Amino acid sequence: MKERLRQDLKKYGKYSIVSAKAQLKAEVASSYLNWLWWILDPICFMLIYTFIFGTVFQASEPYFPIFIFIGLSAWDFFHRTLTQSIKLVKKNKEIVSKVYLPKYILILTRIWVNGFKMFLSFGVVFFMMLFFGVPVTWRVLDWIPFVFLLFLFTFGCATFLLHYGVFVEDLSNVISIGLRLLFYLTGIFYQVSSRIPAPYGEWMTKYNPMAFIITGMRRSLLYGETLEGGWLMFWLIGSLLLVVVGIRLIYKNENSYIKVI
Amino acid sequence: MENAIEVKELCIAYRSLKRYSIKQNFFQRKPKKEDVFEAIKQVSFSVEKGRILGIIGRNGSGKSTLLRAIAGIFAPDSGTIDLKGNRVSLLSIGVGFEKELTGRENILLSGLLLGFSEEQIQEKIEEIIEFAELGEFIEAPVRTYSSGMYSKLAFSITAVLETDIMLIDEILSVGDAKFKKKSYNRMRELISDQNRTVLLVSHSKETVESLCQELLWLHDGQIRMRGETKQVMQAYEEFMK
Repeated sequence: MKERLRQDLKKYGKYSIVSAKAQLKAEVASSYLNWLWWILDPICFMLIYTFIFGTVFQASEPYFPIFIFIGLSAWDFFHRTLTQSIKLVKKNKEIVSKVYLPKYILILTRIWVNGFKMFLSFGVVFFMMLFFGVPVTWRVLDWIPFVFLLFLFTFGCATFLLHYGVFVEDLSNVISIGLRLLFYLTGIFYQVSSRIPAPYGEWMTKYNPMAFIITGMRRSLLYGETLEGGWLMFWLIGSLLLVVVGIRLIYKNENSYIKVI
Repeated sequence: MENAIEVKELCIAYRSLKRYSIKQNFFQRKPKKEDVFEAIKQVSFSVEKGRILGIIGRNGSGKSTLLRAIAGIFAPDSGTIDLKGNRVSLLSIGVGFEKELTGRENILLSGLLLGFSEEQIQEKIEEIIEFAELGEFIEAPVRTYSSGMYSKLAFSITAVLETDIMLIDEILSVGDAKFKKKSYNRMRELISDQNRTVLLVSHSKETVESLCQELLWLHDGQIRMRGETKQVMQAYEEFMK
């Protein structure tokens, strides 16, 4: 499988990038201000959450608006990619029924598209950090391994959703409920470890990979705290396993997808 | 002569792959009866390198399924398909076109999707553009194209980026009268190339008789007859009366 994966990535990797560019371009083409929405969207939600949780519920996390913005940027990436991957094969029927393409390449395309938007969004985060005068330390570099982990974990989950999405009609209903639950458990607008009584709060930030990633990003960008290397390794290896099993699953079944849709 | 395609005991069925929903699992205890449709049953044949094999048969006899299986889009349920390492493509036009991109960008996109490398495409891109006769429109978004221009571009990509084995589901000729003739001639040229192995599905007697060296007659997913074009065609016409 390793050899096949390497060859396929070499052969179709470029396609996923060109295709991602094309889709981004298509989104902008209808109106030149469309790209503004890629930034305005998280900003508006950040303002809403800041108002509700900062003012109404009196949240006291330091740098609260940025705290939320980091969570939203990473979560949106994860949420979008997963939701899209369920219908991905069906949406690309035109292509899938005419040429052979390793189906996870379709996920890769979505990852580039959503990843690009996430990076824009994090650009705003860095701007806000300057604006709010967050003390910047070398620990901000820890953000990079967390982004890598986020990509890997999201890709792993997406391979499974792509596969089962072909066969299970109402998967998207189930997943949207599951994702909503995970959204609240992940602590986009509150600090899980301090809001939920010990020891459960600590557990929830470690055993929930999304909470782990978002907490890790906040610790590095906002608070200059050291990263938990052991747990990072644990989740990196875990995600890698997820990716390997997922790609294997797709390789084994992908040529039957077209018989179903 | 060496073989370019070897198909052994190929079976393809559409079965048990129906979509199901979680809701159904809750409310229906008994699973629905499975529909089995065997599109291809125990088909074996081989094609020598450089030959042109026509495939005939009435609608629903499994011709397109067979082509898709050889192209690697379908998985066989049993049996094997050996292409001896040859590059294969199912001729289809306009795959993966993105309307907002320019013609030039779409050539790259479509070419990559067909499995060519960027260098191979760049090498041929001028030839494609020239063949498509689009002039300055090549730099304009595809959404501004007329349908004739669109199919000209799409055809040119498949006609210029060629592979060792070509699978053709009905010969295409597109565009206005002049381009139709040009594209038809180009197809003939591609098909007749000495080094290219071609499987051609067609309902047109004229096309089949003028192009194919051999014919394979599929009937209900099985090979009914294989042999020289004239004989098979005669038997087939007799049968269809």
